[in-house]
Amino acid sequence: MMRALALCLALAAPVCAEPVVPTFTEETASAGIDTVFDGDWEYMVGGGVATFDCSGDGFPEIFLSGGAGPSALYLNRSPQGGALAFEKTDAVTLDAVLGAYPLDIDSDGVMDLVVLRLGENRLLRGLGECRFEDATQAWGFDGGDAWSTAFAAIWEKGQDWPTLAIGNYVDRKEEAFPWGSCTDNWLHRPEGARFGAPIPLTPSFCALSMLFTDWNRSGHPSLRVSNDREYYKGGQEQMWHLEPGQPPRLYTEKDDGWKRLRIWGMGIASADVNLDGYPDYYLTSMADNKLQVLKDPASGKPDYADIAFKSGITAHRPYTGGDLKPSTGWHPQFADVNNDGILDLFVAKGNVAKMPDFAEKDPNNLLLGQPDGVFMEAGDRAGVASFSISRGAQVVDFNLDGLLDLVVVNRWTSAQLWRQTSVVEGGWVQVRLQQDGPNRDGIGAVIEIRRGDKVERHEITSGGGHVSGSVGWLHFGLGAAATAELRVIWPDGTEGDWQELPARSFQILRPGRPAEAWSPM
Amino acid sequence: MPFHRRQVLGFTVAAPFALALKPALAANRADVSREVLLTWHKLILELVRHTATYMPPVAARAFGYIGVTAHEALATGNPALRSLAGQVTDLTPLPARGEGAFDEPCVLHAALDAAVNGLFANTGPTGQRAMQKMGEIMGRTASDGMAEDVVQRSVAHGQAVAAHILDWAAKDGGAVIENLGFPMDYTPGSRPQDWVPTSAIRLQQAPLLPGWGTLRPFAVKDMAAMDAPAHPAYDEAPGSAFHGFAQEVHDVGKSLTDEQKLIARFWSDDAMLTPTPAGHWISIVMQIADRDALPVEVISATLAKLGCAQSDAFVSCWSTKFKYNLLRPVTYIKRHIDKAWEPLLITPPFPEYTSGHSTQSGAASTVLTAMLGDNFAFDDATHEDEGLPVRSFASFNAAAEEAAMSRMYGGIHFRFGNEAGLAQGRAIGAVAAALKTEA
Repeated sequence: MMRALALCLALAAPVCAEPVVPTFTEETASAGIDTVFDGDWEYMVGGGVATFDCSGDGFPEIFLSGGAGPSALYLNRSPQGGALAFEKTDAVTLDAVLGAYPLDIDSDGVMDLVVLRLGENRLLRGLGECRFEDATQAWGFDGGDAWSTAFAAIWEKGQDWPTLAIGNYVDRKEEAFPWGSCTDNWLHRPEGARFGAPIPLTPSFCALSMLFTDWNRSGHPSLRVSNDREYYKGGQEQMWHLEPGQPPRLYTEKDDGWKRLRIWGMGIASADVNLDGYPDYYLTSMADNKLQVLKDPASGKPDYADIAFKSGITAHRPYTGGDLKPSTGWHPQFADVNNDGILDLFVAKGNVAKMPDFAEKDPNNLLLGQPDGVFMEAGDRAGVASFSISRGAQVVDFNLDGLLDLVVVNRWTSAQLWRQTSVVEGGWVQVRLQQDGPNRDGIGAVIEIRRGDKVERHEITSGGGHVSGSVGWLHFGLGAAATAELRVIWPDGTEGDWQELPARSFQILRPGRPAEAWSPM
Repeated sequence: MPFHRRQVLGFTVAAPFALALKPALAANRADVSREVLLTWHKLILELVRHTATYMPPVAARAFGYIGVTAHEALATGNPALRSLAGQVTDLTPLPARGEGAFDEPCVLHAALDAAVNGLFANTGPTGQRAMQKMGEIMGRTASDGMAEDVVQRSVAHGQAVAAHILDWAAKDGGAVIENLGFPMDYTPGSRPQDWVPTSAIRLQQAPLLPGWGTLRPFAVKDMAAMDAPAHPAYDEAPGSAFHGFAQEVHDVGKSLTDEQKLIARFWSDDAMLTPTPAGHWISIVMQIADRDALPVEVISATLAKLGCAQSDAFVSCWSTKFKYNLLRPVTYIKRHIDKAWEPLLITPPFPEYTSGHSTQSGAASTVLTAMLGDNFAFDDATHEDEGLPVRSFASFNAAAEEAAMSRMYGGIHFRFGNEAGLAQGRAIGAVAAALKTEA
């Protein structure tokens, strides 16, 4: 240890240096955020946030779930690079909201919103200028009457409308014996410009996160489902084949080499952490969390190794605050918060409620990636180690200064908002995918960034996390690089050209066209 | 003497009940008591699975105290039953019933309600909600049609019995479980045969409950006498006896039949995913009680002896485990035989020798054979809702031997660990079976 440190000091080598710890300043109150995720037993999971631009100015708005209390849409009034400011509206004030994901369902260029609820789920059609109408019935969407706690969307090949997957939780009417009462997840496939009857994804095991992901780069995304073992019987983590025109089919050990894993699955974050060209999956749970990487991509089998321990990313207990009981992890999200060109990980933490064997003071994690693949905890030094009972979150650049900010939903207390106020030297680029016709935001596309002799792949997804999602600027840290060399592989498989994009710029990427620089008005 | 089925069924009729009820109603009340006992145990099995500290030894301890609670609640009102006070370690005489009429279902329900809420006070919000609902539902079931003063008097007595048991339980050294049972700090042994962590789970880099072997036992007076003999001498040389045992685990694991895989999974009984090994045997008793309509006094006496045996078996087994601190087969095999070998089951995070499940099963089968008879055939549907088929056994011993063998199929124990565990458990089971529950 001392020898390694001495060597680092002598060489002043970048690989030995600790990553730059970003600084976040909480601006919840000053920014006007005050929505609480409230409620009792039926709201012990959920608590999501959606961020998206519905005003057309490029700045992301915030939609916060309120549980038993009202949800709220906050319009972004932040000046570029300045203090965060939001205007609370009553544009989307619903009760029993557990989470939400933005998605331009009808591909009209105006963002819509999928709202997960305790009871009937809703599809809200964007009308422009942050106005919405309930299009649940008009779009033939069966909102059900469940405890909906997970969502994912994909445009299947040949379809103009997306396929929506809704994850459902416990049968809330079971009082004395709720265990084993997981209700069916539903797959809503389109029938023209509306949705057909939902297809039950049986068996279902109390999903708390879902994600369409092309795990093997086959061109056919599968549906990964992370399930809460607290309530299922005979369950496990799941993945479904989704072939166009075919019924969904479960991956099995016998047919596919799928390996049984049983965790308190609460959130999925996906990124190519080990730079092998395939998505890796961070799965939140209670105590140890998992980082799954394909053991052998050439085998074609979904057989994953858990490298969380050796990557320093188990995040199994609080690292500050004195409570040493095991942690409870919820929303995970990979993002490069310090713009050094290496992915970092944010994890929202919080006790389910009155579980004395798990940490009550459970700080959120900010784990900074390092060149050797081992992450370093910096949540407390960065200023985001909140002890509130956190659930969903989004890591987003709210004031478009190139530095990622943070919003976190908390149970029983107000959501929290942090602005990143770092002075970091690393560069960044932010891109938006736009294509004509269906799937305007390019859900299912892959962005490849060349970093030296490595190519880092990013799947553009709708889903995952813990009932929280975002559509908008896609942020990439660049470190000292003056440009970003990247290309897009569009959802139809078309490979865009490699492009050199200048650091510290916003770019709109369209199929077959050069990048278009964009600036906030 | 075992309660053979005919004798069991005759027990209710022959026993002189001290109930302030008409005889016809007494039979109905016995049925209600039975429903109360079995329904609460159905919830207890779920609570064991869903309470994070309820690792297998902790679960066995709870079954011991709950079993004693139910038996004592009934024994205070039934001269045909004998209290375990003075028989099990440090249990003092239970509160006596006062004047007036008592109702057995109400006494039993109140005792179980209080005991379960006390022992599972740390369960999560869903468990808390379920306990509350169960209290309401069983409270209504027990008190339906009964005079209010009888209900109040009975509930107060049941609660007093539970308070007495919980106070006794608080002093056994196992009441507080921290960090889910894993020490914050642990210094591994330095010998080549010493246990080392076998998983990449950060929490499990220290072994589970290393001090559990010092717990106050229920029935066993001389724990040292229950210790297993030394395991075969550790040896890394091919051709040595120890190497041969490891080779056997490796070879069996490489050629598992579908039936062997099923057996391994049937008895896997993982913590936080099942009711644990002890709960599996409790489940077997519940199924037999339901099938054969066993009288409540027989069920409660069986559960009390079984719970005591299981808890003592884990205490003895854990004492042995940390005395020898032997590595797991996966560690030895990867080091010395086959780096790529993987066991079918997840290796539990504590030393190998002796096998906990084998010890449990030896103890349980001995108690159940003593209570219900040898060659007592039964079906076991414990894991039916997990998708595992019902298995049929010709006797409790046959089930125990299969449970022990399952650990080798699963790749988590050596043959000698299973065999020594069975013997260790059987010796403890015999002590528990000798407890007197009849006057």
